[in-house]
Amino acid sequence: MKGKYLGEFEELVLLVVASLSGEAYAVAVKNEIFKIANRKVNISAVHSALYRLEDKGFLSSDFGAATAVRGGKKKRLFEVTSAGFETLKRMKSVKENLWSQIPQLSFQTL
Amino acid sequence: MQSQDNRDSAPPRWAVKLLRRIIDASLFDDIYGDLYELYQERKTLLGTRRAGHLFIIDVLASIRNYQLRRKKYYSSGNSMAMIHNYFKSTFRNIVKNKTYSVLNIMGLALGIAACLFILQYVSYERSYDKFHANHPDLYRVLYKVYRNGELNIDCAAAVPRVGPFMKEKMPQVIDYARVYPMGGVVTYGDIQYREDRMHMTDPSFLQMFTFPLVKGDPASALIDPNKVVISESVARKYFGNEDPLGKILEVDGEHQVEVSGVAMDVPDNSHFKFDFLISYETLNNQTRNDDGSASSETAWGWYDFNTYVLLQPGSDPAVFDKQFEEFLYEERGEDFEEYNFKAEFPLQPITDIHLYSNLLQESEPEEQGDGQAVSFLTIIAFFILLIAWINYVNLSTARSIERAREVGVRKTLGATPRQLVYQFLTESLVLNLIALLIALGIVVIGIQSFNQLTASSLDLAFLSDPFFWLVILAVLIIGSIISGLYPAFVLSSFKPVSVFSGQLSMGTSGNGMRRALVVFQFAASVTLIASTIIVYQQLAHMRNIDLGFDMTETLVVEGPAVFGIDSLFASTSKSFKHELLQHPGISSVTSASNVPGDEIFWTNGIKREEEPDDQFTTIYNVGVDYEYFPTYDIDIIAGRNYLESHSTDTGSLVLNEAAIKMLGFPSADEAIDQRVTFWGRPKSIIGVVDNYNQMSAKTQVAPIAFPLATRAARFYTIKMDGEDYQSAFNSAQSTYEAFFPGNPFDYFFLDDFFNRQYENDRTFSRVFILFAIFAILVACLGLFGLSSFTVLKRSKEIGIRKVLGAGVSSIVQLLSREFIMLIIVANLVAWPVTYFLMSRWLENYATRITPGVSVFIISGVLVLVIAMLTVSQKIISTALTNPVEAIRDE
Repeated sequence: MKGKYLGEFEELVLLVVASLSGEAYAVAVKNEIFKIANRKVNISAVHSALYRLEDKGFLSSDFGAATAVRGGKKKRLFEVTSAGFETLKRMKSVKENLWSQIPQLSFQTL
Repeated sequence: MQSQDNRDSAPPRWAVKLLRRIIDASLFDDIYGDLYELYQERKTLLGTRRAGHLFIIDVLASIRNYQLRRKKYYSSGNSMAMIHNYFKSTFRNIVKNKTYSVLNIMGLALGIAACLFILQYVSYERSYDKFHANHPDLYRVLYKVYRNGELNIDCAAAVPRVGPFMKEKMPQVIDYARVYPMGGVVTYGDIQYREDRMHMTDPSFLQMFTFPLVKGDPASALIDPNKVVISESVARKYFGNEDPLGKILEVDGEHQVEVSGVAMDVPDNSHFKFDFLISYETLNNQTRNDDGSASSETAWGWYDFNTYVLLQPGSDPAVFDKQFEEFLYEERGEDFEEYNFKAEFPLQPITDIHLYSNLLQESEPEEQGDGQAVSFLTIIAFFILLIAWINYVNLSTARSIERAREVGVRKTLGATPRQLVYQFLTESLVLNLIALLIALGIVVIGIQSFNQLTASSLDLAFLSDPFFWLVILAVLIIGSIISGLYPAFVLSSFKPVSVFSGQLSMGTSGNGMRRALVVFQFAASVTLIASTIIVYQQLAHMRNIDLGFDMTETLVVEGPAVFGIDSLFASTSKSFKHELLQHPGISSVTSASNVPGDEIFWTNGIKREEEPDDQFTTIYNVGVDYEYFPTYDIDIIAGRNYLESHSTDTGSLVLNEAAIKMLGFPSADEAIDQRVTFWGRPKSIIGVVDNYNQMSAKTQVAPIAFPLATRAARFYTIKMDGEDYQSAFNSAQSTYEAFFPGNPFDYFFLDDFFNRQYENDRTFSRVFILFAIFAILVACLGLFGLSSFTVLKRSKEIGIRKVLGAGVSSIVQLLSREFIMLIIVANLVAWPVTYFLMSRWLENYATRITPGVSVFIISGVLVLVIAMLTVSQKIISTALTNPVEAIRDE
């Protein structure tokens, strides 16, 4: 798989999918991002990120139930794969490492 | 409110449709589901209108996801597989119908090969003098003299003063170089040759032109007097492996020149060729006047100097000519007034010299090319290629019926018209590529024979020329598209239903187009054949024309260049001639300054004695002895020849008829005993000779005076009896060597020498014939393919006709009628075109034929016969087939 690296928005989407555990589909992700990060994003941006992450192997997907509110179309539910978790952990430790190297600043902000 | 909501519960339909286009089908369901969910949510929150707007915005924003997952299905997967399939089906088709493929490929290959040959030849002809680094700014100074408003002298050589004068007056001139042609016998030790490519030239010559020296310094090699720069091959000829620098060569037994440089041999595509370049100062020393000036620097009337100027980059020669005219008038105006003439020195780009110049005193007159012929050939090359492409189009569309089923199946299985067009274009690309490779092979193998045939010296260097490959690529791409596009569109337009239900009538598609193309092909063939016949007739005419003199069994020996004591020459020459006549095989001998077929450089002023001085006009001179006219069997139409018994004949003059006319005498008889001023002395006309072709049948006969000059023995003409040829020749050689020791015995036969002038025309006709054959061959390949398919598709009809009692002859007639009609139409198109083109070509010749009706009829019938031979084999075999074979399978 090419592109083991994540963009900022991709990382956010990946984390949101992880936090929504099993209920993550595009609309839910969009709402969650608004709720947590207070960021208004267009649904197409979320689609773009989700499918790309799936192509990269960080997400897997399955069909959920079809509902009337969706015009009879099924939801595509996303889940973080183990590769996705690996990457999230690695990025987290990279950041923690970096944070620990700037003690004064981390004191001030913390 | 509620009811309205229900009615508008779905987002705008067009936006949904748009989304379907934007999003890949595999993702549409879930993305549309998400957008729909958002829409419903917003509808309750914000109202239908606002939700609709936001839905549209979401759809438009989704354009960013256009690429999502699309690549996988289309670009990478599908088209690679399809391209693979195009090639696969192309090769299957080629193999499946071998005759057709071979016809098609060979036709294309021959066409492309012919085209490549011609392009090589043409680009070589056009490459003349382009190897000079300065070639865009190098010009030759021409010399034109007008008398009484008429162009009297139109010469490639100018006067010695004009070069320096231009440099003094015109700021555009960077430098000038004069070239004075001479020739002579060169001696080094006991090595001795007569050399023709010997010139005297300014030191600047080696810097203006790109003639690199392998030894010596180009800047200084030609500054001092008595220096010579020789070519590499000459250096080998005289010095072998010795170092030539500093060696002394003897010219004509009197001048000693020291080798100061060795130049690389002049490339073949140079209009100017040299083996020896002698410093100009040497000439100045020979023409030094009492006051220290040299005629070869100051003369305004001695026009033997090919003068070249190098202008500042980008200078406009037209502007230059105009400005220079004023300076010239300042300097020369008085003389122009006094002697009632006007001279001009227009500039000619040196790259135009080879193809577009045919003046007096060209540096290499026999080598001059013909720009018109080259353009003709370019057109022919294009036509042959066109004929080959037309073949392809014709064969492909004619065969369309066979391919119709394939197209039907492909379409039924979901092929789009575009994919079919691609498929057929791929086929034409592959066929063109194979043909191109074969054509390259033909060129590589055939180039030697082509060189022999056309007396050119093309080599395979073009294979490493990027421009050549660019042309090849263009031919390939343009060829594939031109020849592939029409069949591709015809074939891809078939409707599967009509193909399978058999409604598609056999081969009607593109019938009119096909006929038009066949007519075009054969019109081109008829044009080429008729033109070839006319070229041939014209050449034969020039060779067989009564030139007015006899050149059979005539040996010409060049007169001695080295002769010890000048005053003894006349008597030695006389006893030499007398000695030769002792041999029974030699019937007569004459010495003269020129022989027929040799360009006359010797000119002079002449006028009728009673006329004022401003009436002098230029006339060519041929110095002759008493035997000249009888030896050549030239008719004396009035008066008499010079007679040895008449001591007063030194004050007499013989002229030709053209000269009599120029001087304004009413007839030759009335000119006898009239007096003229010639060489500044009064002379009386004693004889008038027939206008025989002294120079060439290509040009008008010029006015010539034949002064009695027994010492002007540049050539000895020896007329043989033919019986004892070998011993006569041996005797001539031994006598020459006894009388003129130190001179090489250089000889030629006059008929060869004279006909050498037609060498270019003959080459041209050979090239013409070769490509006419190419064109007809290619056209016939096409016709053969076409006729076999036409016959094939009518085989059932023929079967039924035979069953119902039609005879073989009536069937042959039926099948041939269409082709005969097409060829007759082609003839009607070709005749006027040929007549127009060839009339223009014939205008180049002074004596020319008028193309007769027979030429056109012969070429028409010839093409008809060739075409009928081509189609008859197929037609007759079909007519003879047992009808059962044709009808039984239904």
